[in-house]
Amino acid sequence: MRIAVCHPQVPFERGGAEVLSDTLVAELRARGHETELLTVPFKWYPPQRAVTNALAWRLLDLEEAQGKPIDLVIATKFPSYAVRHPNKVVWLVHQLRQAYDLDRTDLGEFDETAFDRALRRTVHRLDNQTLGEARRLFAISANVADRLRRFNGLEAEVLTPPPKRLPYRSGQYGDFVLSVGRLDRAKRVDLLVRAAASINRLRVVIAGDGPDRERLEDVAQSEGVDGRVEFAGLVDEEQLAELYSRCLAVYYAPVDEDFGYVPYEAFLAERPVVTTRDAGGPLEAVVDGVNGIVCESTPADVARACLWFAEHPAVARERGQAGRGLAERLTWDSVVGALLS
Amino acid sequence: MKVAYVSPLPPERSGIADYSGLLLPALQRRADVKPVRRGARRLPRGADVAFYHIGNNPDAHGWILDLMRRHATRVPALVVLHEFVLHHLVGGLTLGRGDAEAYRAALQAEAGPVGRLLGHAVVDGLIPPLWETRAQDFPLATPVLELTDLAVVHSNYVEQRVRSTRFDGPVRRIPMPIWPDPPTTPDAEVAGLGAGVVFGSIGYLNPSKRIPQLVAAYARLRDVRSDSVLVLAGAVSRGLELEPLLARHRLERGRDVVLIDHVPEERLWALLSAFDVCVSLRVPTMGETSAMALRALAVGRPLVVNDLGWFAELPDAVTAKVPVDERETDALAGVLATLAADPSRRAAMGAAARAFVRTEHDPEHSADLYLAAIEEAAGGAAVERAVLDEVARAAQDVGVDPYGPELEDVGRLAREVGLGG
Repeated sequence: MRIAVCHPQVPFERGGAEVLSDTLVAELRARGHETELLTVPFKWYPPQRAVTNALAWRLLDLEEAQGKPIDLVIATKFPSYAVRHPNKVVWLVHQLRQAYDLDRTDLGEFDETAFDRALRRTVHRLDNQTLGEARRLFAISANVADRLRRFNGLEAEVLTPPPKRLPYRSGQYGDFVLSVGRLDRAKRVDLLVRAAASINRLRVVIAGDGPDRERLEDVAQSEGVDGRVEFAGLVDEEQLAELYSRCLAVYYAPVDEDFGYVPYEAFLAERPVVTTRDAGGPLEAVVDGVNGIVCESTPADVARACLWFAEHPAVARERGQAGRGLAERLTWDSVVGALLS
Repeated sequence: MKVAYVSPLPPERSGIADYSGLLLPALQRRADVKPVRRGARRLPRGADVAFYHIGNNPDAHGWILDLMRRHATRVPALVVLHEFVLHHLVGGLTLGRGDAEAYRAALQAEAGPVGRLLGHAVVDGLIPPLWETRAQDFPLATPVLELTDLAVVHSNYVEQRVRSTRFDGPVRRIPMPIWPDPPTTPDAEVAGLGAGVVFGSIGYLNPSKRIPQLVAAYARLRDVRSDSVLVLAGAVSRGLELEPLLARHRLERGRDVVLIDHVPEERLWALLSAFDVCVSLRVPTMGETSAMALRALAVGRPLVVNDLGWFAELPDAVTAKVPVDERETDALAGVLATLAADPSRRAAMGAAARAFVRTEHDPEHSADLYLAAIEEAAGGAAVERAVLDEVARAAQDVGVDPYGPELEDVGRLAREVGLGG
């Protein structure tokens, strides 16, 4: 089969969505499909640019290439699913959330002018049309599917992406809580940094980089936890697996995240996860009292959860192991089977 | 964003005033919506968009069309077409004000030279007024649509009719809101009849409501179901000779057919609740949505309608549809007999009717859709310009004429994703 995987690219940025697309392409190729990753640079500001970008995707002719048909197009996130193809399957990573659940929040992009309000509605109509015309519509999490149902009245099947293939292993339950992921405000790593101020006996290791790093370092300094909060920056796969294998627990509590690989990766290393009630996608993996702790999104509550694991290392191990089965059930065979069915 | 809301409003007595009475508070919970008083000559200062409700009655809507004309091109106009056929409205604002030429011009704009000739004939009294005889053939919606930036309709039928005109703006279909939990205590007078099955029809009693066909069909049922009653509630039009009609079908007033000539608002729900089957026929259609039909569904009553216009779009699970042809009376008699004989089917249709209205015609749901349309009407044209200008600039940069045929494909694909009408 000739398959085009469509993924918009924010130049010089890389996160979970990019990992997902790259891995999907590799997995399809590994199964003998001629597969290409197609990207178009994406910019969402000023807000009208998001619509222009969608139109750019619409203008692409992907029905054939070099005289040979492209059998299937798999689109991932806004606005790549505006692409036109008779056999379009969408595996939805996320829509332009600024036009939906993030509207009129601190993370919103559309102001109160008639222009911006209308532009937001244009995005809604565009989504209704271009997602509605897909032959099959999947979402990477129940959270994403729920937003789609709530805002667009469209039904999507949940197809959870398997976690990254790392040399996972489980070692000693150490004296630090690990945070993994891109450093931007929505990931809410500052909750953990502030929590560290009240946990003298625990260290925090933050793996990842991003635009919020400087602010987080300032927070660490102002909270007086410099010595106990380590910014490890970008780490390679071996280093990441090593960090997972030695930490006490993993913290992952973004604001209403679409999905989030981190809990599944933590489970494959048999680590429990601390998250919050408003984290969104991670709540589909983390069950309070079973494989982690789900707490309120305050530094005090996060601190209490981390301390609890420090005081009960055996339970930390038990809960980490409890999550392993869930992560192992997610396989690329089932994902590819669903996307090609 | 400030929204000027221009509509007949309660305590004015009309279906559209009732509609606004239901919709306006739900909209005001979502946006800064200022109702405009009847007869106003200006919109509220600083209005970003005007939300006009247009129906066919010149007394109720003439001032609204006047207001639209005064603010055309200055304030974006969202217009709810409660009916597609606006001949009576346009006639009232032209001939009714002594401006025969404006009437002829409107007809000419609609139907060319033939329209103009017909206009002359109407003005000179050579033929009966078109609004009484052939309004559906000459709907005269264009004088309203040419002042409209975004049109809202309630049915696919009207949407198609609007799209068949020269109007090239966006058309959005939004279900008419209706009271989700109306009172359901049956009317004491009708309940007191002790009938086995009560059929009822509420509204102005005239030939276009198919009263002759209904009476004829009911007469056949009455021969085999002597415990049934037909209730006709509403004023009788001059064109309908009701007493001779009943006599011709050997139906006795008071025993077989109960007439209630005046129905105050507070009694509507009770009457509908006292019926076992509601009948809401209408031929021809002016593209209207029937609030009475929706009220009947809201109280969980099976509904009998003509298979025409908006009525044809109602789900089969909640309505029995009667064709509009020479078989109409036979089909209607068959439908009445089937429903009379099958209480469980009536119950199932009634339950489906309540669920349908709660889902599709919930005022909060309608208000959400209206807010989307309001925001689109207020800024949609500017958004379209901004996006398409960007494309045009890029085309020009590389030497492609932005208005040339090369960009036709771009325009087509832009329309596919909701830009450009």
